Amino acid sequence: MKVNKIFIVILVISLLSGCGKRQINELALVSAVGIDQGSSPNSVRVTVQVVRPADARGQTGAPAGGTGEPIYSVQAEGKTIFEAIRNLARFSSRRVYWAHNFIIVINEKFARAGIADMIDFFTRNPELRMNTWIAATPNPASEVVSTITGLEVVPGEAVDKLFRYNEIVSEAPRTNMTRLQESYLNEYTHPVLARLELKNRGISNKKPEEFGSLKQIELSGTAVFKHDKMVGWLNRAQSRALLLFIENVDSGIEVITCPDLPNQDATLEVKSQSLHVKPIASGSVPSFHVDVSSRVELSESGCLATFNEMRGYLEEQMGNRVKEQIESLLAAAQKKYKVDILKLGEIYENEYPSEWRRIRDDWEDIFPQVQITIDSRAELTSAVLKITKKKIPRG
Amino acid sequence: MKVKITNGMFVALIMTIIYAKAIGVTQGSLAREIGHDMWIATILGTLQGIVMMILTAAILQKLPDQNFIGFAEALLGKWAGKIVAFVIFLFFLFSFGPIMVTFIYHFKDYFLPEAPIYLFIVVALIVGIFGGFHGLEVMARMALVGAFAVVCLNILLLTGSLSEFDIHNLRPVMEKGFIQTSWASRHYDTDWALATVMAGMILPMVKQSEKWVKAGWSGMILTCIAITMWPILEAAVLSAPVTAEYIVSCMHLARGAHIGIFLHRYELIMIALFSTSSLIQIMMSLYCSAHALSKIFGVKDYRPMLIPAGLALGAFGYWLVLDHLRAISFTEKEWPLISLPIAFLLPIILWTFGKLFRRKLSRS
Repeated sequence: MKVNKIFIVILVISLLSGCGKRQINELALVSAVGIDQGSSPNSVRVTVQVVRPADARGQTGAPAGGTGEPIYSVQAEGKTIFEAIRNLARFSSRRVYWAHNFIIVINEKFARAGIADMIDFFTRNPELRMNTWIAATPNPASEVVSTITGLEVVPGEAVDKLFRYNEIVSEAPRTNMTRLQESYLNEYTHPVLARLELKNRGISNKKPEEFGSLKQIELSGTAVFKHDKMVGWLNRAQSRALLLFIENVDSGIEVITCPDLPNQDATLEVKSQSLHVKPIASGSVPSFHVDVSSRVELSESGCLATFNEMRGYLEEQMGNRVKEQIESLLAAAQKKYKVDILKLGEIYENEYPSEWRRIRDDWEDIFPQVQITIDSRAELTSAVLKITKKKIPRG
Repeated sequence: MKVKITNGMFVALIMTIIYAKAIGVTQGSLAREIGHDMWIATILGTLQGIVMMILTAAILQKLPDQNFIGFAEALLGKWAGKIVAFVIFLFFLFSFGPIMVTFIYHFKDYFLPEAPIYLFIVVALIVGIFGGFHGLEVMARMALVGAFAVVCLNILLLTGSLSEFDIHNLRPVMEKGFIQTSWASRHYDTDWALATVMAGMILPMVKQSEKWVKAGWSGMILTCIAITMWPILEAAVLSAPVTAEYIVSCMHLARGAHIGIFLHRYELIMIALFSTSSLIQIMMSLYCSAHALSKIFGVKDYRPMLIPAGLALGAFGYWLVLDHLRAISFTEKEWPLISLPIAFLLPIILWTFGKLFRRKLSRS
């Protein structure tokens, strides 16, 4: 029996050792990826931001044996993404490892040429997290992924947190790889991605007089796709309206002009918003009724009127503002880009499956003609801590 | 003393032998055929499985000391027993293909892409033969652990996926119609077929024959509850088109699961919980095929037959998984053609002969 046990232990050790040859100190842990068009036609340039573990431990300055640079960015080109990544091996002393990647940034030019390859590669790769964020940028993606932004030491982590806390402003869709793959594979609903842009917003501590000397990454706006090809952008207001259709929106602000002072404003903070779409089957072209309700609080007021006096006015203005945003979004989706990014086809299919089967093949032609009515209401429920009238000092 | 397991262990064996393939590989096939209605096909398949399990238990209750092979031998003679043994051996030989597809593609494609395929085959055979050698009681006790692991795995996945749950992805219900959805349930039928044929081999070793029917159908229902969560989540979280893209769709769901911000990529924990079910499939296939071989060759002890059975099953499994397309094509097309006639017809034929030779049966 003892011999048997020894034999089994030796067998197990010999079989199970060295299954994976990857030791952690042999890996280049990627935290962000940028994808641009390559210098030659039909080529792709991949930039990876690799974490230097010795220098990314949260301390400032160069620790012993380190360089002081928390990231190492390197790029390579190839005809396909995989070839470009394999070409990285010419520069990288460690094997590129994707499991800790936070974000994939795609340059606008590349996105307009089509991202089918990109979606396929990253959803075929078992290392990648399916909740990796995907964003588009009008800037070179290589520059975006190499820019240190926010408080984090690792830029990829900073952008990850931008996405996580983006719900406060709600100005960009939070599209991850799962959602992108889902919308790309859906024949009738088209993908959207968040927009990242470099803005001169940071202030150097060493040169505070040079305001905006440091580039920071801004997350705001939406890239609209038709199947796998980008067709254009949505602005902030349109993006806010889009989020009502595709995500849960429980935050955001709207600035409304005061009822009594035209050069002063009141700021309303959105506490919750809900949108309900009711499809109506009517002939060959369906119609939809959109019902939006917003619950807001008064967060800042430069007006003379009290909360009670201007409550009705602010509610009406807020309702109108949301309606305008949705109308602007519908104009962009139906007239400008002619793509269903609002999941209206899916909603119609769920409610009227047999009617949907009749029109689904022509949905791309029908969608721009669809009539959509909007009913938007707002409820101002609180003025937070204050309730009295503002006192104006008399000169 | 002859080994006897409890009815609870039998229920755990049913659950673990069906679970591993049914949650991922089968759901991918269903999604390719009927989209997001895969959970309905799974339930329809379960209903068929319950009928066949009850029939299997009812047949063997007539001769509680005999399995399908012994039952055929008692009714129709020695050669009938050998034919049934050969059919059962063929069933488990070919079942080893989809079982290896499930086992190897989970581990190799998602965790150890550089490890050679033969390594997985050798490990599977060593563990399978080890379990088979120690017999039914060891496997049944392991199945109890496996059933607990299944519950843990389901809780982990549910917790990690609910935040992405979109119920609209499950609508409209029965999109492809009842007939097409029922036809698609054959993919799940191949999973419960393993359980019913296994029951046909091991029920004589389960205590309290009067409880076999109840244990059989309750095992099938519990398994259905444990499994149906997966197609619902796969459709609602990933969407049917995404599920349809993958051979092992459950792993695609698992690698996207995350609990809050800090706990993600815990699929290694999930695969550890999953592996018991996969290993039970492997062990039981080897155990039943070795039993069938021993009956074919008239050997009293099944243990010496574990090696030839392992070599045959391992060779077939290795050949199949070498090519992904061949593997999935066999699993979706040929395997139902092989397994379902055996799973449906064998109990029906034995039941019919049992009725025809009622007197002989009562004498036996």
